[in-house]
Amino acid sequence: MKNKSNWIYFSIGLAIGVIAVYIILSMATTDLAKIKISNKAKPKNKLQVGIHKEVVPLTDKELKEFGIKVKEVGPGTIQLHSELTGEIIPDPTKVARIIPRFAGIVREVRKNIGDHLEKGEVIAVIESNESLVRYEVKSSIAGTIIKIHLTPGEVIVDDKHSVTVADLSSVWANLSIYQKDLLKIKVGQVSIISTIDGSRFSKSNIFYISPIVDEQTRTATARVKLNNSSGIWKPGMFITAKVATTRKTVSMVVNKNAIQIFKGQTVVFVKDKKGFRPQPVSVGFQNNKSVEILDGLHQGQNYISEGAFTIKAELLKESLGGGQEN
Amino acid sequence: MKKIIDFVLRNRLLIIILGVFVIAVGYFSYKQLPIDAFPDVSPTLVRVFTTTEGLAPEDVEKYISFPIEVSMNGLPKLRLIRSVSNFGLSVVNIYFEDGTDIYFARQLVNERLQEARKQIPKGFGDPQMGPISSGMGLVFFYYLEDDTGKYSLEELRTIQDWLIKFQLQTVPGVTEVLGIGGWKKQFHVIVDPNALLRYNVTVNDIVNKIRDNNLNVGASYIEKDAEEFLVRSIGLATKLEDLKNIIIKSKDGIPVYLSQLADIKIGGAIRRGVETHNGIGEVVAGMVIKLFGTNSSTVIGKVEKKVAQINKILPNGVKIVPYYEQKALVEAAIKTVSDALLQGIILVIIILILFMGSLRPSIVVALSIPFSIMFAFIGMQYFGISVNLMSFGGLAIAIGMMVDASVVLVENVDRVKRESPHEPFIHVVSRASKEVVKPIIFAIIIIITVFIPLFTLQGVGGKTFKPLAYTITLAMLGSLVFAILIAPVVSSFLMNNTSKKGKSKHQDIWIVRTLQKLYEPVVTYFVKRRAVAIGLAVGMLVIGALIFPQLGSEYTPTLQEGTLVLRLQMAPSISLTESTRLTSIAEKRLMKIPEVTGVVTRIGRGEVGADIDPINSAEMYILLKPKDKWRKGITTQGDLERIIRKDFGEMPGILTNFTQPIEMTVDQLLEGVRAELVIKLFGEDLDKLKSKADEIAVVIRKIKGAADIQVNQVSGKPQLKIVVNRHSIARYGVNLEDVQKVIRTAVGGEVAGQIFEGIRRFDILVRFKPDFRETPEAIKKILIETPSGVKVPLSQLATFEEIVGPRQITREQNQRFITIQSNVIGRDIGSFVAEGQRAIDAQVKLPPGYFVTWGGQFRLQQEANKRFAIVIPVTLLLVFLLLFFSFNSLKNSVLILLNIPLALVGGVVGLWLTGQNLSVPSSVGFIALFGIALENGMVLLTYFNQLLREGLSIDEASIKGAKLRLRPVLMTAVTTALGLIPLLIATGTGSEVQRPLATVVVGGLVTSTILTLLVLPALYKWFAIYVEKEIEE
Repeated sequence: MKNKSNWIYFSIGLAIGVIAVYIILSMATTDLAKIKISNKAKPKNKLQVGIHKEVVPLTDKELKEFGIKVKEVGPGTIQLHSELTGEIIPDPTKVARIIPRFAGIVREVRKNIGDHLEKGEVIAVIESNESLVRYEVKSSIAGTIIKIHLTPGEVIVDDKHSVTVADLSSVWANLSIYQKDLLKIKVGQVSIISTIDGSRFSKSNIFYISPIVDEQTRTATARVKLNNSSGIWKPGMFITAKVATTRKTVSMVVNKNAIQIFKGQTVVFVKDKKGFRPQPVSVGFQNNKSVEILDGLHQGQNYISEGAFTIKAELLKESLGGGQEN
Repeated sequence: MKKIIDFVLRNRLLIIILGVFVIAVGYFSYKQLPIDAFPDVSPTLVRVFTTTEGLAPEDVEKYISFPIEVSMNGLPKLRLIRSVSNFGLSVVNIYFEDGTDIYFARQLVNERLQEARKQIPKGFGDPQMGPISSGMGLVFFYYLEDDTGKYSLEELRTIQDWLIKFQLQTVPGVTEVLGIGGWKKQFHVIVDPNALLRYNVTVNDIVNKIRDNNLNVGASYIEKDAEEFLVRSIGLATKLEDLKNIIIKSKDGIPVYLSQLADIKIGGAIRRGVETHNGIGEVVAGMVIKLFGTNSSTVIGKVEKKVAQINKILPNGVKIVPYYEQKALVEAAIKTVSDALLQGIILVIIILILFMGSLRPSIVVALSIPFSIMFAFIGMQYFGISVNLMSFGGLAIAIGMMVDASVVLVENVDRVKRESPHEPFIHVVSRASKEVVKPIIFAIIIIITVFIPLFTLQGVGGKTFKPLAYTITLAMLGSLVFAILIAPVVSSFLMNNTSKKGKSKHQDIWIVRTLQKLYEPVVTYFVKRRAVAIGLAVGMLVIGALIFPQLGSEYTPTLQEGTLVLRLQMAPSISLTESTRLTSIAEKRLMKIPEVTGVVTRIGRGEVGADIDPINSAEMYILLKPKDKWRKGITTQGDLERIIRKDFGEMPGILTNFTQPIEMTVDQLLEGVRAELVIKLFGEDLDKLKSKADEIAVVIRKIKGAADIQVNQVSGKPQLKIVVNRHSIARYGVNLEDVQKVIRTAVGGEVAGQIFEGIRRFDILVRFKPDFRETPEAIKKILIETPSGVKVPLSQLATFEEIVGPRQITREQNQRFITIQSNVIGRDIGSFVAEGQRAIDAQVKLPPGYFVTWGGQFRLQQEANKRFAIVIPVTLLLVFLLLFFSFNSLKNSVLILLNIPLALVGGVVGLWLTGQNLSVPSSVGFIALFGIALENGMVLLTYFNQLLREGLSIDEASIKGAKLRLRPVLMTAVTTALGLIPLLIATGTGSEVQRPLATVVVGGLVTSTILTLLVLPALYKWFAIYVEKEIEE
């Protein structure tokens, strides 16, 4: 009897205890396990994956604060350029190499390197070996002496002793065209030739493109004639050329920064009643400033020309927090 | 046990010396204890950082992360290896089992790193271990203020890196100083590609020439007469001029100088981080990292002193401005608990004096507090526990409990003395002590036993609450030692002379007398009408049962660090320039908020070692006005967060969330994603991983209870991919490497040696002019020299592709993985997981080699539950056994256990009344309550049994016993409760963690005391031992 009641008490006590302790500790463990998922884990403005926001409303104040600019889609022209390098050479048709006609002794040299000559002006006087008669060496063109190998008393026996006169009032620029540009560069295109430092430049048309590609350098040559009355272009000078290749007038053009890749599509953010939304577009012609829009927009539509990235980021915002593991 | 009392009373001098000794040792231990704000919950972790500027995530993974991971496999005590490969940075986290010695772990890692280094190709970076520190290690942040405006960001950064950094690193306890912001000074050789063409030089020639013309050599010595002369050839470039005059080639005796080919100037290194402030611009900043295991407040104190010294030697107008110091937090947290501790002690002493009626016994009892605390300090020193919010909090909680053992003893001495005033006092002490020594020991041991489950906690919860469990246990042990060894001795000295006044028991203290007068009829009433007593108990239980479901549940209340950090997450593809611009807009917005005095923001990362944030993330430290200057109605950090959030508003394209410095750092170190459920998909191909993860997300979302599902965004970093065409280069006879070298040097830049300015050294960076490398078009035009001397544009040798690549690659267990995280609402997570697993098996077809693992917090919970399934019954059995040994009666033990449910009711009601939730700290409170509730019952029941043996009837024994034991029962309950009151009302840093705990204990004490005093005597009849002739020892 007594034993039995003892066991009953024991069981009751144990049961109460087990239940009580289990309640406490299960509370404790649940909570302890969850510790540190503090309030910050609660997504506040995060949307669930798959339910995407499509429109970003922005106030004028916000546009200003974030430097976002809106423009109208309109017609425009897009100009493409190729940049080439090259060097200045004298115009070969205006270079005269004057060789004294008879062997003899140089008696007199009237001009020096760099001197300017008129056509027919005497450069030197030579006494012929055969006839012992003095004759004058005259310039066949007007120009500047760029080479002269005549010294008084010198004996001339071959054609090594010559005078080169060049007319540098206009020069040529030889431009190297790499294969990739060959098809784009055409005779007649306007090119802007500038010095390496960019301080001087002049504009001219391509008048010649070599029909073959050099075996060594694998480049073709384009030629531009430059007016050099001021004398800034010196043969041998290294230059760069910007050749205007293709030019197209299109009906819809947008700022290049407006084009964004959003979820694998090329989009422009356009303004509608609720705000800004991505508009898939197909693009055509483009240079580093402007892009032709073939399809997707219409003229007069407002689009974001600067700061489109901010809108894109806003649309992708919900995915930004996705587990930045460190 | 009674022999202990005899021994103690015979060797009173020895015992006093022992007591003084313990207090002295405790004091010295305290002086040596490290002081921190919170317990450090960081895992045992060695981080290996490798930087390779310019390398994309895939290549970082292939060339760096993978070899390091592989070499670390199989280390002893290794728990997990996880790597993150970012742009230009590889971080391999090597987690060791908790409790592994950090220096041991580092040594192991270091040995294996030697092997790993061999596997990493030359020029791909050198892996380095991170600082010897933990998540609590970032103790001091500063920026440089330049009033004069004379100094450029490069100059300021040079001051930071070469002056301040080295000075601060000499401070003991500082393991690392990391700089960020401004520009690291470099000597830039900006090559003009057209000039290369003109002079027929390649960019690699330039790199080589610079390397060849920048050297000092030693040539031993010569002897001249009797003297020795050292021979040294000086050729190191020390300034810009030296670089400019390097001759690259000469033709016909005409030298071509480097300056003809390139602009040479001082510039900034490529950077992956920026520091800005107040929306007005960039600053240079630094952070001081504390050595693992050192005393935060001491280290910070020394750093502050050093900073004052450094400020004196800095150029005029430049000074170090701290913007975050952990010291403030440490001080605030320690102040909160030490204030509570002090107030608790005072309240407890007042109660003692009131109930004991005189000063002397109160002193005896009160002495138990310093003794127990000092005892706990010795133990803390032994177990290596720092002084922090939780460990000190444990002491504050235990204040009232520390005196309990002594209260019982001294009260009994006092009572016996009053009853037999003429007995020699030493006999009185001896007899009274012996009467209670056994229940005291058992009661304390039971309290300690109850805390056992807390010691089995693992992970963050364990690290947070173990210090508390330790200090409570230690203090209780100390109070036990005091009660049975020292209290009898001290009372024999101190309480003796009062007896001379010959007070009889009728001249009791008025307060006790009044209480007894009020109490006696009530208890008699209950003893006579047991049904009412049961009704009372049941009624309370019902109330508790009704209220319980209404309580909300939260995780642990976040520790308020007092420093707000607003974290910005921007699009992964963003450029540093753009993220700096956006951050400055955000700073301007914050500066408009009246409470904000300043904002200092770190974007991306600076020198590696602590943060590895990418450039799309920014952390804004918000500097605040003192609390009393805040607008009306803002009192707490939470209020302020709300206000700032409201005033700040939303920013398009930016996710914002509030965090705190330590919370943030620790979260980064802790493994993985903070969600209940984390599905990891392992596999090889990044695109497949992403698409399969998206599929899994779709499947999981359909399952009932799924919420907040997110797939880790692994991609999103645009790449310009240059694939060299092997046929094309073969045609020109160029090697692939030659092409790649030019790409690297031209676009990314190549370091061609260093320039020494004294001991300061700065890299020489050779790179193309910006116009010739900043756009894809420009890169396409870069000319590659072929062996025949012909120069070919890059576009003729390679194809260019703009793609979106991975922004980071995470690996675990030597495999790539991607995570899908989810929370579960309104259903049991176990069944959710089972259903999810079935659904994925059925609906998602994984390619071979791909597999899914399920983890997350629920795994920890399962593990914890498994452990508790063993620990809880064992603890319970232990308690029951202890009770049984103490009373030799099952019935008595059961009666005492009945206290528990009623104590729970009080705790629940307490939480409900104060509007708090169930949380981790409140659970700890329940555990503590469990022990305390048992103690009261034991005190009373012991006396009932004693009276019964003395021959009283059960009813008489119940009433008389209850009346006579009213004083000790009330005293222990009231001291414990009042000791907690300061924690209940405290508002300082860290109080939010202690408050729920205190609420539960105080609430529970109220109900359990009611039960002990009213219901227990009534029920005693049914649980009493029928008096037998027991043979006393």
